[in-house]
Amino acid sequence: MTDPPSPAALILADSRFPGGGHVHSGGLEQAVSQGLVSGLDDLAGFLAGRLRTAGRLAAVFAAAAAHAAARRVRPAHWVALDAELDARTPTPAQRAASRAQGRGTARAALVAWPSPVLADLLAVTPRPHHAVLVGAVHGSTGGNAGQAALTTAYLAVSGPASAAVRLLGLDPFAVNAVLARLGPALTELAAEAARTAADRPADLPAPSSPALDLLAEAHDRHHQQEVRLFAS
Amino acid sequence: MRASAALAVELDRRRPGRTVVRALRSAAPLTLVPRAGAARPEAGAAAVVHLVSSAPAPLGGDELELTVRVGPGARLRLHGVAATLALPGHRSVPSHSVVRIEVAEGARVDYLPEPTVVTARAWHRAELRVELAGHAVARCREVLVLGRSGEPAGRLHSAVHVRRAGVPLLRQSVDLGPDELADSPAVLAGHRVLATEVIAWPDVVEPAGGDWWALSPLAAGGALATALAPDAVTAQRLLANARAAHPAAADLAEPAW
Repeated sequence: MTDPPSPAALILADSRFPGGGHVHSGGLEQAVSQGLVSGLDDLAGFLAGRLRTAGRLAAVFAAAAAHAAARRVRPAHWVALDAELDARTPTPAQRAASRAQGRGTARAALVAWPSPVLADLLAVTPRPHHAVLVGAVHGSTGGNAGQAALTTAYLAVSGPASAAVRLLGLDPFAVNAVLARLGPALTELAAEAARTAADRPADLPAPSSPALDLLAEAHDRHHQQEVRLFAS
Repeated sequence: MRASAALAVELDRRRPGRTVVRALRSAAPLTLVPRAGAARPEAGAAAVVHLVSSAPAPLGGDELELTVRVGPGARLRLHGVAATLALPGHRSVPSHSVVRIEVAEGARVDYLPEPTVVTARAWHRAELRVELAGHAVARCREVLVLGRSGEPAGRLHSAVHVRRAGVPLLRQSVDLGPDELADSPAVLAGHRVLATEVIAWPDVVEPAGGDWWALSPLAAGGALATALAPDAVTAQRLLANARAAHPAAADLAEPAW
């Protein structure tokens, strides 16, 4: 983790990256509408929990994908990573959100960083999970597993944090400070995810996020009845 | 304490359609008790076996293992009879329990243990691994309770793996502890009880849900019912809502005793 971050990592983590991430709140919109998050303290708790569950899962798969991309794995490996992440994502709403962001990121990545690895991956999984795609871009552009994990874990909290500014009208400086306080947790989680990057896909950790799963399904149900700002 | 218990049921060759208990090895504290009448099974009925904890368990340092085999076409219902209390041991090491269930072609298993209560200062690791043949069905329940009433929870890591013909249907683990993480709206949203039920049935399931429960189709087949609740009774009621939304609801109804 002492290596300087790759430029690709900065571009992928930038909120101006045209991957379509800005339409996802990571469950925050539903949490706000159910009254679970109404201020900065709640937001800090939401983000800390999201990081340790959904964020950790994404980081684990991004690290594994970066490692796989650097080794130029066979296409069957991408299929296995995809199936294993599916098995760790029990709700259709979460799978749809992950694949929508994966597809959006893939379209931008194909133009920015075309590579045989990316072509292999998209040939067998045309709508990849977001974490796998982000990891593969890192691995195919010289980035390492820890950087891929850090980018992905950061995206797991930065999206909901900026959504909180729009949904709750919170002070952007204060929200940014909440995000900054997650720094040590982000670093630790990325290092931990890097340690399992070379594991077989079946053996990768599988942290669940029960409340996020229920919020995602509730968001989907309500989305059909009323207008929402975010797709998830 | 190390304990390894085993159970195998299969169809009786001489009496078609009847499931018999072929092998049963209890190992304290894992005691397996076939329900009375198991020696004279009805055609098509499941063998019913109760899982009784015959000692306070698990304690820190315990290694408990249960292996279950359900033969081709056989049916097994494995019930708990009382909540499992994960307790602290004398040494600061985790207790570890592993349940392995293999379900052969055309067979069915209902694994319905009672809740696991993670008492203060306990450190428990639980693992459930279910291997299904291509046309086997299974449902496996897990109810986790953070501490006894009014008590802070100890540490728990619980992992569930379900595969069908080698394809992963569900893998998920939960890490709970005395920290504030369970209060996070992203994790347990302040609830004390997390209940899940894997329903690996062939039916196509539509997503359904309500306040703090959902029935969700898994990507590779089967469904997961999830509920969060302030207490175990409410959690069971919410799981029942999820089962009622399943196309095979009649098949999943709890038997009246």
